[in-house]
Amino acid sequence: MRTVLASSVVLAAFLGLAAQPAVAATPKDALVMAWNLDALITLDPAQIGEVNGNDIMINVCNRLVQPNIKDVAKIEPQLAESWSTSADGLTLTFKMRKDLTFPSGKPATAHDAAWSLKRAIHLNFGNAANLKEWGFTSEKVDEQIVAVDDLTLQLKLDKPYPVGLLLSSVFSSNVSSVLNKETGEKNAKVTDGKSDHGNGWFKTQSDCVGPYRVRTWNANDVVILEANDNYFGTKPGLKRVIIRHVPESGAQRLQLEKGDIDVGRLLSSDDLKALAANKDMHVEQTVMHGYSYFAFNVADPILSNPKVRLAFRYLVDYEGLEKTVMAFQGKARNSLVPTGAFGALNEKDGLPFKLDLDMAKKLLTEAGYPNGFSKKYILSANTFNPAVAQHVQANAAKVGIKLDLEQMADANLFSKMRAREFEIGQIGWGAGYPDAHSMISRHAYNPDNRIESKLAQYPSWRSAWFDEAINKKTDTAMMEKDPAKRIVLYKEIQEHMLANGPMAYMFQTVRPIAIRKDVKNFQIGPFKVDYASASK
Amino acid sequence: MAVTDVSRKAAVQSKLPPWVWDAWRIGSSAIVTLLGLLALTFFMGRMLPIDPVIAIVGEQADASTYDMVYKQLGLDRPLYVQFGYFMRDMLSGNFGNALFTGNKVSDDLMRVFPATIELATIAITIGVSVGVPIGVLAAVYRGSPIDHLARILGLLGYSTPTFWLGLMGLVLFYAVLGWVGGPGRLDVFYIDIVDRRTGMLLVDAAIAGEWEVWQNAFSHIVLPASILSFASMAFISRLTRSFMLAQLSQEYILAARVKGLSKWKVIRKHAFRNIAVQLVTVISLAYVILLEGAVVTETVFAWPGFGRYLVSGLLAGDMNAVLACVLIVGTLFITINLICDLLYRILDPRTR
Repeated sequence: MRTVLASSVVLAAFLGLAAQPAVAATPKDALVMAWNLDALITLDPAQIGEVNGNDIMINVCNRLVQPNIKDVAKIEPQLAESWSTSADGLTLTFKMRKDLTFPSGKPATAHDAAWSLKRAIHLNFGNAANLKEWGFTSEKVDEQIVAVDDLTLQLKLDKPYPVGLLLSSVFSSNVSSVLNKETGEKNAKVTDGKSDHGNGWFKTQSDCVGPYRVRTWNANDVVILEANDNYFGTKPGLKRVIIRHVPESGAQRLQLEKGDIDVGRLLSSDDLKALAANKDMHVEQTVMHGYSYFAFNVADPILSNPKVRLAFRYLVDYEGLEKTVMAFQGKARNSLVPTGAFGALNEKDGLPFKLDLDMAKKLLTEAGYPNGFSKKYILSANTFNPAVAQHVQANAAKVGIKLDLEQMADANLFSKMRAREFEIGQIGWGAGYPDAHSMISRHAYNPDNRIESKLAQYPSWRSAWFDEAINKKTDTAMMEKDPAKRIVLYKEIQEHMLANGPMAYMFQTVRPIAIRKDVKNFQIGPFKVDYASASK
Repeated sequence: MAVTDVSRKAAVQSKLPPWVWDAWRIGSSAIVTLLGLLALTFFMGRMLPIDPVIAIVGEQADASTYDMVYKQLGLDRPLYVQFGYFMRDMLSGNFGNALFTGNKVSDDLMRVFPATIELATIAITIGVSVGVPIGVLAAVYRGSPIDHLARILGLLGYSTPTFWLGLMGLVLFYAVLGWVGGPGRLDVFYIDIVDRRTGMLLVDAAIAGEWEVWQNAFSHIVLPASILSFASMAFISRLTRSFMLAQLSQEYILAARVKGLSKWKVIRKHAFRNIAVQLVTVISLAYVILLEGAVVTETVFAWPGFGRYLVSGLLAGDMNAVLACVLIVGTLFITINLICDLLYRILDPRTR
């Protein structure tokens, strides 16, 4: 009996120690967010390839130019105050602001900007493609990117690309973040004669021009940003941003309701529904420039038939799913250029399909498959994917198509699709910049369809899709300087792809963010969540 | 016993002290076990259909970037060569870089392992301090309401999903009653106050004399540790009950009672002492399982621990991280077995 008593005393002491007065709210001078930080592996702008890193570092490292936070097709100055092109269109010159400084107070110049762009190419991480795609190469980059003086950055182009397209695709992206050259060179490590250009240092720390600087990053735990007192622009509304790793939606919701966090970044549809009904919360839904779609491998004899692919587009109840499974997650759209991007079809023309089993059956019959066929359908086991795939499977069965679903880890799915080892695959894709070219140049254009070309960065190649006419039209549109003419060309491409393309786009991604109402003025756009705009 | 006997014979033949042979046999057996474990994990890991390069370069990377990283990771070499390099690095204490965090694996482990040790140690403390008395009482009062209660608790502990229990615990004790801290190891007000020394916040806060931080850390750990302890408590209480029942039916217990010893003295001095060896084994195993298997609890409570690290590494195909974790888990099992062996000798004179 004494043992029981002793245990009870220990337990009571335990609970007594644990019990503490509840803290009412988050600090007045800090924005506290909860997110799943599993994917965050680097803070180096030349290397970042995932959502967490992009979201954080766009608030730490400004770029040469930036899209307007709401009207993203409109490009505005940021670190560069102006730009101009030569008469032949082969030289692009940026004039930098005079008042740029790093957090240490050291002035930031065009030399830092040139070094940052060059290192992105030399490092050759995924983001290097942003520059390589426009003719910049590791061999020629010293002549192609030149700091003429402290305020003038000059770029030599191999073709006279439309300047708007370049600004949108390259100079508002991660690679045009201006890092401190001195810090990079001081911390560069050379292995086998090859420098890492400070990548080892920039992976976990920051030294660039922006409203915040990284104070702490404990992987899978917390990221803390602190206001940069030497920032040239408007000072951030809150001194600190604390991003906590909370990978479970239910836990995030409880923390939001209790006031232990201000912002929840990864919440399930059910939790979002509950939070949207809470008078202390606001759920901001932003339509992103990304897609959830299923892709066909057109090397398959059955799937190579355009009528078969068209039939699949009639097997999805887009509006029904948008209101249920995809609530807070996706907005129905079929065209490959997302709403909001330059050159996108309007909302009505961008969503011509609806669930129509009779039409699907008719198309299958015309294609020569009145009794259907069997195909394997691979997908990610995460979030809404299984529910959407089961919906497609159920409707396909009604027209005689037997789909064998195979769920897998994302890394496995990516490997299979990049290797063309699939028949039908459900996957997502995010456009890198708000211009039709971003999607069309990857999903419609395919420079070389041979398997040995290994152009896995092109979903069109993964699907073995090749259309010479579309390739030519994409090239023409890319070089067209008249915006009105570009829009017409992109409209034609989108209409052609809707009827023939190797991807059935279902939903444009929606990013829901739950925010407590005591956070004011928080500006959120598809390409930037502006931490500095928030205040309390 | 067997090890000691063999060592004794070998020691007699070679005129060396028996402990040298014990150490040799145990050490060589541990090394062979660890090598086998590493080889098995390495080759099984390479057979997984997960591409670690994608985890680094991203899904949209072009072929030149992909190939560059593929070579950097040494994946273009034959498997046995990769394993050779891996073993060389391991032996020199270099676990390489974790692909999915971008850090050195050793740095990651220094960060996640103390968090788990702290959590698992408190969990096993709760599990033992509650589970053992309940098991003893259930055996002594077999068939009574206490026994039924112990069985129900055991059943719940085994069958309740940790995920659900964790969330319900958070709703009740954190959100409604406000008795404990929420997910994470500290409230935002206390982050970065205490210098990191051991990585165990309770220890670090105590060393720094920051008692407010200590109390906050404790309020955050108590719920996940309790949830985590529930299953091990069920396991420990059920086995304690079985061991005790086996002892209580022995004739020496009856003889002791006939001699006039009190009921609780017999239970404490005779029956319980005789189950101590078995209990040490059970508790040790439960502790190791808590150290490496707290994935769900760590997810619900946003606890940056070892279990989540291992699973995240596995899902990303990050063999550097996975193999280092396997090495640690293997070493833990071996170490705890050795400690058990030593404890047996202390608790049971027949094994000396």
